[in-house]
Amino acid sequence: MSRAMPNAALDAKGVMWLLGAMLFVVAPHLLRMPEWVAGFFLVMVAWRGWVAWRAQRFPTRWIVLALTLGAAAGTFLQYGRLFGRDAGTTLLVLMAALKLVEMKTSREVLLAIHLGFVLVMTNFLYSQTIPMGVYMLACVWLFVATLVGYQRSPGRAPGVAGRLVPAGKLLAQALPLMLVLFILFPRVAGPLWALPQDARAGLSGLSDTMTPGNISKLIQSEATAFRVEFEGEIPPYQRLYFRGPVLWAFDGRSWRMSEFSPAAALEYPKAERPVKYAVTVEPHGKHWLFALDVPGTLPPGVSARHDLQLRSVRPVDARLRYEMTSYLDYRFGEKLPAGFREFALRFNTWQNPRTIALGRQWAAENPDPRRVIGRALQHFNSQFTYTLEPPLLESEHPYDEFLFDKKRGFCEHYAGSFALLMRAAGIPSRVVTGYQGGEINPLNRELIVRQADAHAWVEVWIEREGWVRIDPTSAVSPDRIDNGINAALGPIGVIPSIIAADRFGILSNLRFAWDALNSQWNQWVLGYNTDRQRQFLARLGIDAVDWMNLAIWLAAISFAVAGIVSLALVIRDLPKREAPAVRAWRRFGEKLAKAGLARAPHEGPLDYLARVRAARPDLGEQAEAITQRYVRARYGEGISPPEAQELARLVRDFRPA
Amino acid sequence: MLANLRQSIADWIFRARFPEAAPVTLVQRRIFILPSKEGYVFALVLLVLLVASINYALSLGFLLTFLLAAMGSVAMLHTWRNLAHLKLRPGRCESVFAGDIAQFAVLVESPVRERYAVAFRRRDEDPVFADIAEREVATVPIPVKSTRRGRLKCGRVEIYTRYPVGLFHAWSYFDFGQTAIVYPRPDPSAGPPPMQSQSESGEGVPIPGEDDFHHLRDYRAGDPLRHVAWKALARGDQLLTKEFHATASGELWLDWNDARAADPEARLAFLAHWVIECERIGQRYGLRLPGSAIPPGRGEDHRARCLEALALHGEGPAP
Repeated sequence: MSRAMPNAALDAKGVMWLLGAMLFVVAPHLLRMPEWVAGFFLVMVAWRGWVAWRAQRFPTRWIVLALTLGAAAGTFLQYGRLFGRDAGTTLLVLMAALKLVEMKTSREVLLAIHLGFVLVMTNFLYSQTIPMGVYMLACVWLFVATLVGYQRSPGRAPGVAGRLVPAGKLLAQALPLMLVLFILFPRVAGPLWALPQDARAGLSGLSDTMTPGNISKLIQSEATAFRVEFEGEIPPYQRLYFRGPVLWAFDGRSWRMSEFSPAAALEYPKAERPVKYAVTVEPHGKHWLFALDVPGTLPPGVSARHDLQLRSVRPVDARLRYEMTSYLDYRFGEKLPAGFREFALRFNTWQNPRTIALGRQWAAENPDPRRVIGRALQHFNSQFTYTLEPPLLESEHPYDEFLFDKKRGFCEHYAGSFALLMRAAGIPSRVVTGYQGGEINPLNRELIVRQADAHAWVEVWIEREGWVRIDPTSAVSPDRIDNGINAALGPIGVIPSIIAADRFGILSNLRFAWDALNSQWNQWVLGYNTDRQRQFLARLGIDAVDWMNLAIWLAAISFAVAGIVSLALVIRDLPKREAPAVRAWRRFGEKLAKAGLARAPHEGPLDYLARVRAARPDLGEQAEAITQRYVRARYGEGISPPEAQELARLVRDFRPA
Repeated sequence: MLANLRQSIADWIFRARFPEAAPVTLVQRRIFILPSKEGYVFALVLLVLLVASINYALSLGFLLTFLLAAMGSVAMLHTWRNLAHLKLRPGRCESVFAGDIAQFAVLVESPVRERYAVAFRRRDEDPVFADIAEREVATVPIPVKSTRRGRLKCGRVEIYTRYPVGLFHAWSYFDFGQTAIVYPRPDPSAGPPPMQSQSESGEGVPIPGEDDFHHLRDYRAGDPLRHVAWKALARGDQLLTKEFHATASGELWLDWNDARAADPEARLAFLAHWVIECERIGQRYGLRLPGSAIPPGRGEDHRARCLEALALHGEGPAP
């Protein structure tokens, strides 16, 4: 029946609600999808709205079929496939639009609403922030309201309140049970099947390669890299070096992580100033984790490589929280095996010849590594500029170009050229990338480390001292290390600029409050995984390791909560308690009925009293006292509680039989 | 399948109870509730959402899934509450002619809360929906198609609701043993009532002739074709019927024996037609059936009495 007129059951208002809810839920998708998808969707919605509003004919089956094939073909041409996050979501959005156009029965409406719930879910593949959560809750509300509208008697579509209020009540009453399910439902670690390749697209962060220019791009991002909660004092700002990928291999331009990297035992000749802290790292899709200087204890599932780079067994595809200890005063790597030593000195001689010559010259003048390092730092300090917008290094000898011509650079320029100078001077060296500094949220004493705090520095190996951190950037711009990136370069990006302009600190406080809220959200909502669940439930005395045990708790608490909610609703329906005066009057009537003087249903209290008096003059006085009080309570000015008690007592003592 | 199962359960549970005395209050143990077909589909969607949440480790996905699941279980309670404590009483049912639809009124009272989309349905028939305001009595007409004259039983009625979200079907049954009288369908081929009955008292009232023509009125279904003002119709007016002035000068006995038809049912249809004709023209008439007689009279009550006698002719006494 493809040419049927709109079904009477699908009233136009209901269809409009559904279209509105769909627009709401798809809007975030439409903003990030190709324009033709948005165009297609909006045209379909407008078409369906027109069909419903003006009672127009539906498109024929052939048109719908053609549109369906066209949508699938368009998706395939756009993405080269039909599955995966982006392609799959696009296809779902297009199919939802087509479902709306051809929807004729109330069953199809229900299907469309279910599709709406699935579309809510697809939004979470892209964003799970607090605003997105609130927005999607509103979408769910709209869909439930649409559903409620369709359940009303045919032809009696409710108004806005008639939809939103019952739907809102349903959702509000569902919240307690939702919370219980969320806390107690067993969390499984890891995906059930392989995620599509693009499931984690768009994650920013460090990479396993450092080429001049790539960190300076990263630091324009305000995105959070990780958050740190310290147990006790927060270490001094300039000691906040979070080590990430350690880069050994050098090809003349880029520094890379080495593939060969055996694990190491965490034994240090000197390890002082332990710091305990917990890191909540944002997903970056790679294996490495970040830690202050040298790690003491490692969280489960994490190993340390010989260069003290921490690696997680699984890639960090979801927000991850780990607790650990580090030492700020330490010595490590005093013995450097020949193989590693050779690796830490390797460079090709045909690139950057002037840099290499400079390094060799310094070593020739004074082979003491401390002297060479000092000269290099002095060199940077005297002539170089720290800038976020370094000139491009396009020549075949990038570090020559930087050191001798441009002399303007960012941390990766300094770290890269410094490490090469050291190697040329015969000092084993490697580049360490990670984050330095961060921002302390005064509200929750948490350190927020953003992508903007990305940094690169160098570790050199010195006889009897082991690996020593040298940060050449500090020679050029001590502010960067002491006070952070914004202090060194001025506010970077829009948000810091606005905050810098805010003299009273209101915005900055708001931002801290928002960040504190986000941190809680990340830890307790988004980061609520297997481990967190076990920890949390253990605190409540529930053993979540045992599935059966957890299932029993889940069932018991769910039933209890559902029971309380039900009871609260059902109690309101129970017959109202009689007012004391009414009860007394009823008892009075019952007593008289036993004595053969039942009150007729139509008989008013005063008529009844007259009849009782006539029939039983002996009871007249008592009956009058009772009746008068009752009449006053019921029809007059009312009676006080003591008077009501008096009435009850009179009735109790009333013995007509 | 589900509906059949529900019916068999109901048959078994209510076997001994029906028909029952009014009023009926839908107390807790009278109300049944099961997921509707849509409810099962919803459960399937929840499963899909749950698997997606687990696979993509979407915390908000879990929240969504659990919110919807919890909403579903709360909805069960709301659906149940939409029926609970309703008070039902039987109302009147107007008599109808065989083949017409009898409307059995049921009075529904909601002691608490307004109720929406409460449906009443007889087995295999379309439901009637009603909204019931708080502390008000709604009259719900339950249509039953009559097939033959006699007593028509309303039978067991399912009262159900799916409000607010359609995921659950809460239902109960009631049967007040309501009956309606179904008159025989008048057969116009009977012609006009016989002028001269064989009855002893009938002095013979001529059926109104052309000269008795009184005025024109709008055509009503059931008017004999020969009274239609064809000329007026030809002039382009609406369909009109010529109304004849009754002389009412005597009494006419409509007699079983005058209705010359093949079988008793056809006779009753003839008699019914005559009763209506006589009433229409204002003729006083009596009705004589084998074994019973109704003395001549006129008016709505008399007409109803006669038609009822025809309807129940040969039927047993009221149950």
